[in-house]
Amino acid sequence: MSRTEIADEARRSPVSGDDPRLAALESQLKEAIVEIAELRARDALKTQFLANISHDLRTPLTAVITHAEILRDGILGDLSPRQMESVRGIISGGRQLLNQVGEILTYARGAANQLALVPTRFAIREVLEQVSGINEPLIKKKHLALSIEVVGDVPPLTADREKITHIIGNLLGNAIDFTPNGGRVWLRAERYAQRPDDTLCVEVGDTGVGIAPEHHDLIFREFAQVDATPSRPHHGTGLGLTIARKLVELHGGRIWVESELGRGSRFFFTVPLEQAAD
Amino acid sequence: MPDQAHILVVEDSDIVASAMRVLVESAGHRVTTAASIADALGAARSDPADVVLLDLTLPDGDGLVLIEPLRAAGCRMFIALTGHDDQATRDRCLAAGCADVLVKPVPARELIARVAGWAEMS
Ligand SMILES: Nc1ncnc2c1ncn2[C@@H]1O[C@H](COP(=O)(O)OP(=O)(O)OP(=O)(O)O)[C@@H](O)[C@H]1O
Ligand SMILES: [Mg+2]
Repeated sequence: MSRTEIADEARRSPVSGDDPRLAALESQLKEAIVEIAELRARDALKTQFLANISHDLRTPLTAVITHAEILRDGILGDLSPRQMESVRGIISGGRQLLNQVGEILTYARGAANQLALVPTRFAIREVLEQVSGINEPLIKKKHLALSIEVVGDVPPLTADREKITHIIGNLLGNAIDFTPNGGRVWLRAERYAQRPDDTLCVEVGDTGVGIAPEHHDLIFREFAQVDATPSRPHHGTGLGLTIARKLVELHGGRIWVESELGRGSRFFFTVPLEQAAD
Repeated sequence: MPDQAHILVVEDSDIVASAMRVLVESAGHRVTTAASIADALGAARSDPADVVLLDLTLPDGDGLVLIEPLRAAGCRMFIALTGHDDQATRDRCLAAGCADVLVKPVPARELIARVAGWAEMS
């Protein structure tokens, strides 16, 4: 008898006393419990492997990038223009790979609960400006208009600045990726309009391709992409939003999206203005 | 140009260490490399360095344990070069006595400029 058959049978006529079906059910249950424990252990092992391998990949990547930069910077002599082009290719490919490996590492650490908050006090505007500065070349390249707005009187925030920067960086990266040339993207921060009012709300919006409502939950799941076909125009690990959500939740906040297909997207997240120091 | 400084690069990956050697030498300094805690202790005792560039994960332990014995051997300044780009690691290195913490890969030009600065300070 299969497990579901036993369960169905048991529902039809409740087992009791020394009914032999009871013993069968008990042993099935024990097996299932052992199986779940094994799966959990294996999952934890894989997450740890992911964290280890992505950390270890940084060393050979560091060697590739640094040796290539030695060539690019003429430390061992001048390069011809075509050699220079190749070397620049190695460096930018290496840096891209390094970023992706870094995202996988952050994801794996998050999944293994190995991320800790290091709160400091800072103005959210500084972070918005820093993230927009980092993305300026891409924004220019796509002729996007970027605006930054801090609404009203927002007090300084006590949070993990690096992680808040990471969250906004991932959201703005997506806004840029999924908005056709000439569109608008914006960063906006204000005190959360709803209670509790000791909360900050940050919005990252765009006038891009938008997301159908049935995908609003899916996109925050690990590796999920709306268009996951190999020929998709956008490549990435599908971890950006999973990491953003993890980092928001570490701060005790919430993240969500408001969007419709073809009508742009508005991602919002909240963080408490103060983090209890640990 | 200040006097030539002696830089000890403690790094277990030989391909990373060879790149660091090229960079530091191109800045006009003398380089010794060590691939483990044991190596670094041996090297510093016979020829202490002005500046030590310290990798954190070494085959025989945490690079930060080197700071005390190397300082006692006459090394003057410690810079952590780490693959971990989180604030907790940075805080740990500074608390252990590092003057600076850099995340690998440090851009080549930046490393050269910084080595020059450290050599002058040390
Ligand atoms: N601003 C946006 N506009 C439209 N779609 C979006 C937007 N942001 C995210 N998405 C959708 O959500 C998916 C998941 O985003 P996520 O950032 O997690 O991964 P990714 O961007 O595909 O990969 P990576 O972030 O690693 O480059 C995207 O592939 C895309 O389908
Ligand atoms: Mg993304």
